Amino acid sequence: MDAPTVSPAEEATRLRRCLNDLVSIIALPALWTGGEPPRIIDTLLDALVGMLDAAFVLARLNDAEHGPPIEVGRVADAWAGTLRRGDIGHGLDAALGTALQKWPAVTRIVIGRSPLSVASARLGLQGDIGTIVVGSERIDFPGETERLILDVAANQAALGLQQARLLSEQKRVAAELDRHVAQRTRELAVANDELKKENAERLTDIDERKHAEESLRRSEARKTAILGSALDCIVTIDHDGGITEFNPAAERTFGYRRDEVLGRQLADVIIPPALRESHRQGFARYLATGASRVLGKRIEMTAVRADGSEFPVELAITRIPLDGPPSFTGYLRDITERKRAEEELRRSEAFLAEAQQLSQVGSFSWRVATDEIMWSEQLYRIFEIDRDARVTLEVIGARIHAEDVSAFKEQIERCRRDGSDVQLEIRLQMRDRTIKHVHVVAHCRGDRGQLEYIGAVQDVTESRLSEAALAKVRSDLASVARVTSLGVLTASIAHEVNQPLAGIVTNASTCLRMLGADPPDLDGARETARRTIRDGHRASDVITRLRTLFSRKEFTLETLDLNEVTREVIALTLSEFQRHRVVLQSELAGDLPMITGDRIQLQQVILNLFRNASDAMVDVHERPRLLLITTEREDGNRVRLSVRDAGMGLPPHSLDSLFDAFYTTKRGGMGIGLFVSRSIVERHQGRLWAEPNDGPGATFSFSIPFQST
Amino acid sequence: MSERSLVAVIDDDESVRESLPDLVRQFGFAARAFSSAEAFLASQELSETRCLIVDIAMPGMSGPDFHQELIRRRQKIPIVFITATGDRAVRPRLLAQGAVECLFKPFSETDLLDALNAAFRIPRRSQT
Repeated sequence: MDAPTVSPAEEATRLRRCLNDLVSIIALPALWTGGEPPRIIDTLLDALVGMLDAAFVLARLNDAEHGPPIEVGRVADAWAGTLRRGDIGHGLDAALGTALQKWPAVTRIVIGRSPLSVASARLGLQGDIGTIVVGSERIDFPGETERLILDVAANQAALGLQQARLLSEQKRVAAELDRHVAQRTRELAVANDELKKENAERLTDIDERKHAEESLRRSEARKTAILGSALDCIVTIDHDGGITEFNPAAERTFGYRRDEVLGRQLADVIIPPALRESHRQGFARYLATGASRVLGKRIEMTAVRADGSEFPVELAITRIPLDGPPSFTGYLRDITERKRAEEELRRSEAFLAEAQQLSQVGSFSWRVATDEIMWSEQLYRIFEIDRDARVTLEVIGARIHAEDVSAFKEQIERCRRDGSDVQLEIRLQMRDRTIKHVHVVAHCRGDRGQLEYIGAVQDVTESRLSEAALAKVRSDLASVARVTSLGVLTASIAHEVNQPLAGIVTNASTCLRMLGADPPDLDGARETARRTIRDGHRASDVITRLRTLFSRKEFTLETLDLNEVTREVIALTLSEFQRHRVVLQSELAGDLPMITGDRIQLQQVILNLFRNASDAMVDVHERPRLLLITTEREDGNRVRLSVRDAGMGLPPHSLDSLFDAFYTTKRGGMGIGLFVSRSIVERHQGRLWAEPNDGPGATFSFSIPFQST
Repeated sequence: MSERSLVAVIDDDESVRESLPDLVRQFGFAARAFSSAEAFLASQELSETRCLIVDIAMPGMSGPDFHQELIRRRQKIPIVFITATGDRAVRPRLLAQGAVECLFKPFSETDLLDALNAAFRIPRRSQT
């Protein structure tokens, strides 16, 4: 069997903490929306150094531009005097080398003068984004849950960083394009102004023609320089659609030489055959009516290269402001990369949405001043509010459970007042009256008057319900422990029972002596005999009281899985067995039918059998103190549980008296346990018995009928 | 008072106070019962008692506390403890402190007689 080394209560606390940490980490991306990589890493490291039992946390990121890696670190407060930030990076490089991809998942190295367990998690599928490293002085670091937290955090960070990079790349591309278009427009406007001016001058002052021509040449030269150095493709066409200019960027992008395409129809050169006709119609319509769907706008379209391959371009067309037949300049840019980035972003957004759905976490933003609220799709699902509805505080308030409304309102007021962080657990009530528990985490950003909350809402209903169930099991177990820890009760029970027994024995002795005297003291003997009988009744009253104490008045019948009942007792007694060096083996039948019974009382019986078995092996040194617990289905619609020990065995000729009250073979034993156990089993229409083993020790078993279906 | 040697029984349990003095008298000693150590200390019999049978767990002054009080008063009366608790660990501790015997209820008449005989082999000494 698998042996947990911590108590169920500790286990529950640890799991609850792990769950909370995971929720916090899952909420982090909501804070990162639109954030820069340094901010993402900062918040992540702050979170991790708090959650993990760490001396330091360090992130090393490969720079997108293939520069040296960027390193960000945190040293835990407790280690501030011991570890220096600078030592960490050097220590890691010295012990593990500079190739991040080759760092082991866990290792133990010395940094500064401290031996530390170092766990690393890669960011990105191939570790291409970077690595997070956590150091702890604990030998067993990272534990199972710590590893889980670290891996989830690394995944979240990888996703966040990737998004941030795509977003900033997209912003950069858009900004650059805007800048280029603005600059070209400015430059052409200047050139055109000069041309106009020169034209005017030429018309009014023919003597200055030479000078004007010189200016024009200068202007042409400047234009050529602009066209030649431009990063965007610049193509000009005349009023027939014939190409009049095709700059070097266009040559590179489309795969034609300038002299190959000058004079050819633009549509034939760069527009895919399928779109040519509509292009021609649009162009003709513009020439005829002056109406254009494309002029002065930035549009996206598909273009074709000399080799026939198609690719997406962004296109801006302006009319060259010259008199005479219209001519046009087109600025084109290959946006394959940007399209890909957008697609990636869409994919990762879809991924995030799916992740939110899987983890039952929704995210939101709330501008405090205007009460503008944005919700993720999952949040609509959690609140069961129509996707098209406008979300307002009133709409949200209507979903809050009546008992939590005032807490909700107080929280909103507090947010408006001081912009403090939100950490709230609140109940929602749906239209069908079902109740949901949600955990809300939100942080505020922005200045006063511009406060904006970004946060996450997790549906924790299931874990609340299972926590409640767990708490019930724990309290049941606690009551088993209380009622059956004979050790605690022995003193008071012993006192209660031994007192009348002392009277019985003393009176009986006195009585016999009085009868044996010469002459016999018959009055005295009668008196002591009367007292003996009275003390006998008193002892039996004590036993009745004990029986009631042990078997409890209320007999709570429920459908039980005997295996589950047994496992709970095992969990309760494991540490005690370990202390007594008892090796516990369990062979629980897989197909055990359910029984009807009182869980706590049956657990008392099992616990008592366990304790007896363990006590019987106290003096065993030459062989393992093996305790075997088995459950099985018996003939005649019964289930049987047996506890086999390797102890001193049963006293000869006393199998029947074993179950009598006050019969005991133990030093300091009371002889109550088996007596009470048998009465409990009999209340379940069952049977409790003992058998000697073939080898050393004895086996105690009970069998209980189950309802055949 | 009786010529015979006086045995005082101190126990808060009534059935012991009823039964034990009778048995002690059957052995040939004089016996008196007290329901508490305080009652015994306040009584005339304090100076005449040759042996004490004292319960360990009593409300008010416990048996061992009473023993210490006697030592403080320099009243060296042989003492046999009796107890209804099952805790055997108390016996060696009490014997080390000078008790003659510690008997666990229910005890046999033989054990009681042995303990009383042992107690009477010790002369009672008192500085008063």
